Order: sequence, then structure tokens, then C-alpha cells
Amino acid sequence: MGKIKLLFSKFDTPLELKTAPEIKAGFPSTADDYKLDAIDFNRDMIRHPESTFYGRVYGDSMINAGIADGDIAVIDRLEEAKDGDIIVAFVNNEFTIKYLDLTHKEEGYIELRPANDAFLPIRVDLHDDFRVWGVVVWTIRNCKH
Amino acid sequence: MPVSKSTFYAVVDCDNCFVSCERVFRPEFNHRAVVVLSNNDGCVVARSKEAKALGVKMGLPYYQMLQQFPDEDIVALSSNYELYADMTGRVMSLVRKSAPDFMRYSIDEAFCILRGIDGDEAKKWGEDIHSLVLRGTGMPVSIGIAATKTLAKAACLFAKKYPGYKSCCVIDTEEKRLKALDLVAIEDVWGVGRRILPRLKALGITTAAKFASHTPQWIRSSFNIVTERTWKELNGIDCIPNEHAAPKKSICTSRTFPKLIDDYTSLRTQVANYAAKCAEKLRRQNSVAKTVSLFIETNHFREDLPQHSTMLRATLPTPSNSTITIVEAVSRLLRDAMRNGYFYRRAGVIVSDITDMEGMQPDLFEYDPESYERLRRLDKTVDRINKLCGSETVVIGTRQYTRNEGKGKAAQFSTAIRRERLSQCPTTRWSDIIPLNKGEK
Repeated sequence: MGKIKLLFSKFDTPLELKTAPEIKAGFPSTADDYKLDAIDFNRDMIRHPESTFYGRVYGDSMINAGIADGDIAVIDRLEEAKDGDIIVAFVNNEFTIKYLDLTHKEEGYIELRPANDAFLPIRVDLHDDFRVWGVVVWTIRNCKH
Repeated sequence: MPVSKSTFYAVVDCDNCFVSCERVFRPEFNHRAVVVLSNNDGCVVARSKEAKALGVKMGLPYYQMLQQFPDEDIVALSSNYELYADMTGRVMSLVRKSAPDFMRYSIDEAFCILRGIDGDEAKKWGEDIHSLVLRGTGMPVSIGIAATKTLAKAACLFAKKYPGYKSCCVIDTEEKRLKALDLVAIEDVWGVGRRILPRLKALGITTAAKFASHTPQWIRSSFNIVTERTWKELNGIDCIPNEHAAPKKSICTSRTFPKLIDDYTSLRTQVANYAAKCAEKLRRQNSVAKTVSLFIETNHFREDLPQHSTMLRATLPTPSNSTITIVEAVSRLLRDAMRNGYFYRRAGVIVSDITDMEGMQPDLFEYDPESYERLRRLDKTVDRINKLCGSETVVIGTRQYTRNEGKGKAAQFSTAIRRERLSQCPTTRWSDIIPLNKGEK
């Protein structure tokens, strides 16, 4: 009795079928003209992959900005930090996520404002060795724990 | 005055690369003396500016550093190559996007070719790269620009040494070239090997200028053709070929053990780990290897012990990147390689004949697609778990370090790699991403 050997094919790698636009055979799909690449988070939401880093938010000091404990912050170091941006900075030996308030820049200091009345703003003198670490461009929350 | 446009080489070199990678995520280490230690926390492999100023020498064993600088506050970190690979990848990607002709030369440096620009434009290009990379990744880089790669490397020394250059030094005139050669010590010239250094010095050749003033014939007859090439380059003749970094043809993982090993099981644990590392690297670059080699060595410096070193090779029936397949092949090789009564100090695994996974040619008689597919799925799962939960969460049994027979609590994993001062991997693991507002909670 002969044996049958089963061969398994691979179906999980993408195989791109190239269409030749000049050759019309059969009924053409009207959808072809509208064909675009699928939405891709990395491509569409990360402007500078080389300067993009991720942070994990602890606590509720930014809760009124819609940023809660456990959220992921997407931080881009190449974005220019403007007044009112949510930024990440290194102050008092830790990374902090706050609103950047440049109102008092001319007077020689800036403020890092929380979005929660239970917390105080952090005042930073500009002659301190202070740098904005990066600008928060997105936050991500897992809604289905 | 006419401005001459020409072709320049630019070398972009990370400043104190490993220390700088660590500081991006540990800004509290800025302005402090920081060193990074080699595998097993053996010796110093990277130093911050402050550590160099204290007089900590490259390659200094860690325990000696502790003895020599008992009162200094030096931060010592284990090497975290996972972090360094990711961060330097980011740096190189930014540089590549700014230069049409880009060649990565090592983990922390790259050459670019700048065509049809003048010296001032080159200087501006370099300063822009410095500020882009520093802003984007936190990595300080220095840039040296000149007509040849060797002169560019010399210019880079000045860019690092003198803040006035703002991290970019251009040698674009004959006057600057001669001045630079005068100031560069012969041991700092790129391409001058350690071996010929004593002879050069004995001949009174202590600077690049003195070296360059000899005739090329004399250099070639006294030394070799490689040294003559360095001579040409220093004299402005571009002659080092542009080797584009090709995908690796072989991958090697090797280590020196913390202690000498004379039993098969312990040695197999070590080489199984190196084999697994090689398999992981293969999978990461989507390739497979056909040849697996193993080498083992005793300690040549221990003249009181018998010496043995060997290298054995095996050909896999089907090119593979499976951990199990490669570990098995290495374990078999070890049985033949190892001799009783010898104390081994070092071992390594090399996988070669590497090809792309897609173009793979299986041996039709040995090829069993079902088991092949099973191994592939297993590796994929293990890689995924290790990626999510930290590397080496799941390992195969052979790799397990055995516990030493110790007294009670003193039981240790004696030969496990020591990385006591290891930092986090905030760019490659979700578990390690940057903590924000942690002190407020």
C-alpha cells in the first residue's frame, strides 16, 4: 500500500500579486482605482521613528488632560516644544509628564503644570540645567483590560 | 574669490557611545564620572569625559578601578548591548537620511561622502548633523570632514578635543592639513597598527607630520602596503575603498568564562547559550545558516596546566535558524572537541554559510516540512515571550545554568553571566519604557 506524505504550504507570509494595468481581460474591478495602502499606525502617527520613545504614566496628576495611571505616552524628541504642549522633562531626579507653561519665560522661569488641582505646578528657573526631554504626541490607553 | 567645490569624506562618531546611551535615560549621570564594564563586569570598556579626566584607563579591570580610586564617586554600569544597538541604530538612521552616500563603519561610527560642496557648506552640514542627532536621540556625535577618510578621522579628534569646533572640524585647506598633521600623535592616526608603533617611535616618528614627510617608497619597504596606504591618505590621496556594509556572512558568539571549566555538562551549558544566541541573531535578520562551528580553548597563560584548543565544524542537512537544531549540533561537536583533564577558559560558536530564509535550498532527502514547521513555530513563540517578558525568560533545558553545591543561602549560579549593574532597556521592551511621574504616586 502506498504512503501519502502531506506537504504543508506556507500561507502566513504576504505574497504581492503585481497587476499589469495595460492588459484588460475580463471585467475590471471598479474598486481598483481606489486601492490604497491600509492604515498603519507606525507610518501615519509616528513622524520621526528615530526620535520616538515610549513612557508609562504613573498616578493621576494629568487626569484632566485625559491622561491616566497606566497610560502609554508616545514621546517625540524632534518635535519643537511650544507653550501649552504636553511634554516630558527630567526634574528632581525623575521623568515627569506635564503641560509646558512659558507665560513667565521673560521673567526667567517657566512652569510645568499638572492637570489636577491636587498637585502643584513645578517652577523651573531657566538658569537651571533644564531641557525639555521630548514632546508627547499621543497617549494610548488599554480600554479592555 | 572663487569657492572650490569638491568631494569630502565625513566621519560621524558617537562621543563616549555606551556612556551616552545610558545617560539619555539616566540624566542624573550627566556631569558625573561614568564607566561601562565589559561582559561579566570584567573591565572598563567605555568612559565618560569625567572618568577620563580622573585617569581611569580603557581596559582597566573593574576590581583594580575600585582599588585605584577608592574615594572617587564613579558610576559603574554593566554593558547593555540591547540598548546600545537600538540607540546607535537610531543615530545611524538619522545620519543616513542626511547623507546620500552612507557607510556604517562600526557600532558607533559611520562615513559619509559629501559631493560638490565647499568647506563652509561641509562645516554647516556637520554642525546640523550634530544638533539633529543630539536633539533627536540625546546622543552627542562629533564630525570630522576632509578629503580622505584618514584625514577625516584626524579632524574628528580635534572636533572631540576642542569645544571651539562645535563638534565639527573640517580640514579643507593645505594649511589646515599640515597644522593637523603636526598636532596628531602617531598612535592616534587611524590605520597605524599597534604592532608597528614601537618601531615607528624608535625611528623618531612621533607625529603624523613626521610620518607623512617620509617617501612612500621608504614607508612601503620599511613597513607594509597597508601603512603606505595610510601615508597616501594623510597626504591627501584618497585610497581606502568604500566598503558598503553587507549583511553578515557569519555570526560569532564567544565568551571567556568567569572560572575555568573542566566538565562536559558545565561546558555544554555555556556553548548551548552561545548557540542559542546565534540562532536568535539569525532569526532576527531573517536568515538561515548551513555551517555550525565550535571552538574551545584552555588558558594559555597557565603554563602549569595542559593546553588544548580546537575548532570543529558541522554541516546541517538543511540550513536552519532553529535554537534546538543549532544547540543539538553544537552539543554533538562538543563531545568530540572536549578532552578530559583539561581546564577550558573560553569557547565560541560560529554560524556561517548564511543565506536568506526565502532563497533557502533544503536537502530534499532530509527535509521534513512538518518538523521544520513545528520548530519554526516553537522559536517564534519563544522569541515572542522573551521579547515581551525580557530575554531569557524561556530557554531550552540545555541552557539552564546549574546551581553550585553551596552552603545554604550561599548557593549561587556560579557561571551565569554577571551583569549586576545592568540598566533597563527602555527602547526595546515594553516592561522597561520610561517611567513618568513615578515619584508622585
